[in-house]
Amino acid sequence: MIDFIGETERDAVTELLNIAIGHAAASLSQLVEDEVHLSVPFVDFLTPAQAATRLEQETQGADSVAVRQHFRGHFQGDILLIFPEKRSLDLVRHMLGDEVPLDQLTELEQEALLEVGNIILNACLGSLANQLHTPVEGSLPTYVRGRGARILDACTIGGTGGQGEMVMFLHVDFSLLKKDVHGYLAFVMDILSAKHFVEAVQAYVAAQLAG
Amino acid sequence: MSVKTVLLVDDSRVARMMTRRVVETKRPGWVVLEAGSGEEGLAVLVEARPDYVVLDVNMPGIGGIETARRMRAVSPDVRVTLLTANIQDPVRHQAEDMGVGFLTKPLHEDELLAFLGDDAP
Repeated sequence: MIDFIGETERDAVTELLNIAIGHAAASLSQLVEDEVHLSVPFVDFLTPAQAATRLEQETQGADSVAVRQHFRGHFQGDILLIFPEKRSLDLVRHMLGDEVPLDQLTELEQEALLEVGNIILNACLGSLANQLHTPVEGSLPTYVRGRGARILDACTIGGTGGQGEMVMFLHVDFSLLKKDVHGYLAFVMDILSAKHFVEAVQAYVAAQLAG
Repeated sequence: MSVKTVLLVDDSRVARMMTRRVVETKRPGWVVLEAGSGEEGLAVLVEARPDYVVLDVNMPGIGGIETARRMRAVSPDVRVTLLTANIQDPVRHQAEDMGVGFLTKPLHEDELLAFLGDDAP
């Protein structure tokens, strides 16, 4: 794997993401009334095809559902909230409560996941934007269903059919403590945007250290 | 203590359902109206003259900020709050500048009730 950032930048990106994803996790926790466990975020530079393979491995080749939001500003890319398909209805049930009948729950599943994605992804993006003091404009969330490659194909990065330039792939796993629901949150940025993102993070760290 | 009317404007039906549930539970008897876009919300505002408007920000069409601005122009006395997942400071500041509330998703019941005041019937 080619590395485009040094140890310090990687550490700073991870820390900033930790905070942003912490905000997202707090929102999810409130929605489903359960504690959310987070993995340590990891940052990799991969081709779009490698990123799809990575996602495919983690979802064990099964179909997933994802809510994707494109964002743009000083840096741009896609942020995705991904759940194994078989668990998504459970999540919606936890969110809307037991009083909603199953047939209505199924009908509302896609809309409910979009709203979950809207809240979680915006909490994460908003936290990043506030920390870095740079506005980030998010598109309306969209719903994608399929295997890892299909989900990442829906992103607007790369544009080279998965074989071309590298992308920065930021990824964190989360799970609900009591409800046996887990998922993934991923950022995908092309290299130019990743460079701008890392510069913004460096400026943030410098400002913090300068007091 | 009088019955009030609350207009919920959000492109997400699920989001409207969750907010409606809180209003109907905590303010029984109040009238809850819904609109799925800013444009529709403005039309309902003119027709029904609600007391409160709870407004999403990121919606197709004119969006929540512009909708709030137009609602203010049409009906200066209506009490409006944004209810949004977009927690960025500039959005919060725009709300403050317009004199409208700013609530964040997921909905915090106590914050919504504070916005709705002590008008429980």
